[in-house]
Amino acid sequence: MHEYAVVDELIGALLPRLAEHPGRVRTVVVRKGELRILSDHALVNAFEILTKGTRLEGADLLVEAVAAAVSCSACGYRGPAGRFGGEGDHFSIPVLTCPQCGASVQVDAGRELYVDYVTLSDDSPVDG
Amino acid sequence: MHDVRFTGEDILARQLELAEANYRRLREKHVRSISVLGAIGSGKTTLVEQAIDRLQGQGLRVATIAADSAGDDDHRRFVARGAKSVNVNTQDDCHLDAHTVDHALDELPLDDVDVLFIENVGNLICPADFPLGADAEVVVISVTEGDDMVRKHPKIFAQTDFVVVNKVDLAAAVGVDPKRIIDDYSAVNPHGKLFLTSLRRGEGLDELLNALGLGCTSTQW
Repeated sequence: MHEYAVVDELIGALLPRLAEHPGRVRTVVVRKGELRILSDHALVNAFEILTKGTRLEGADLLVEAVAAAVSCSACGYRGPAGRFGGEGDHFSIPVLTCPQCGASVQVDAGRELYVDYVTLSDDSPVDG
Repeated sequence: MHDVRFTGEDILARQLELAEANYRRLREKHVRSISVLGAIGSGKTTLVEQAIDRLQGQGLRVATIAADSAGDDDHRRFVARGAKSVNVNTQDDCHLDAHTVDHALDELPLDDVDVLFIENVGNLICPADFPLGADAEVVVISVTEGDDMVRKHPKIFAQTDFVVVNKVDLAAAVGVDPKRIIDDYSAVNPHGKLFLTSLRRGEGLDELLNALGLGCTSTQW
């Protein structure tokens, strides 16, 4: 349940940055790399609970996935990470080896976790 | 309606910065640091105990940060072996974070430390998203948790380069074939290093310490 700690950091970072932007916060859009070990459902639950009594209360948290991408210094491959699994009940996961030559790779995308944008409406956050 | 766009700074940026500061601080003091994490009862504390004995025998000065939800049992075990240790209680938090490690480092005489072990709270999943700033990370599991630990947590093992599979002396008794664990791990992380250990007997530890650059023939840095 470390999603609560993550959302706590999110709220702490977001509130001061929104101070100069009046209006009611409707949506907070977060982009989450698929290499992160974070449950979208738990993030949304944590956001709903931890924003109570703040300016973010009532806003929706949307979590958008970012696919893992890698680059290989051995063969020059650059692109989507290779995948493992995906059959039956198992979801597929990215693996950090080159899909072309099998060498270790650098992660170019898939570890990010950031607020992309926030949507505000023009009504006051204290009205209703 | 209008949108406010952000610069893409990581939500955990504060934690990442603190982890990087810990890393730099330990590097400047020439302290080699190993983060140890894994499930409850897998043998993390035994691993650190055995490593303390081995490394002290090589003349290295070892320190520990012992994290648990409550109590100081692990901390006492490390102190009894001669390590300088800081006890950290995370209380209701399921993981250590870089900020807590930063404070723990304040309490250690880093000028007199060669190797630092940071033992996380017993939890395989939650610590994975919180970097601490250590040089290397070791994930400890044991055969008594079953031979499906890797396939149940593939994302973690795909990103973990040092894995210890402990209690292999009990494998037959609990009906586990360690080869399944090895095969699962090499499928998700062909370049990772996996070590079969019986840490209570001290078996398999040398191979791990060598891989971490802490073997008796390793050059000190």
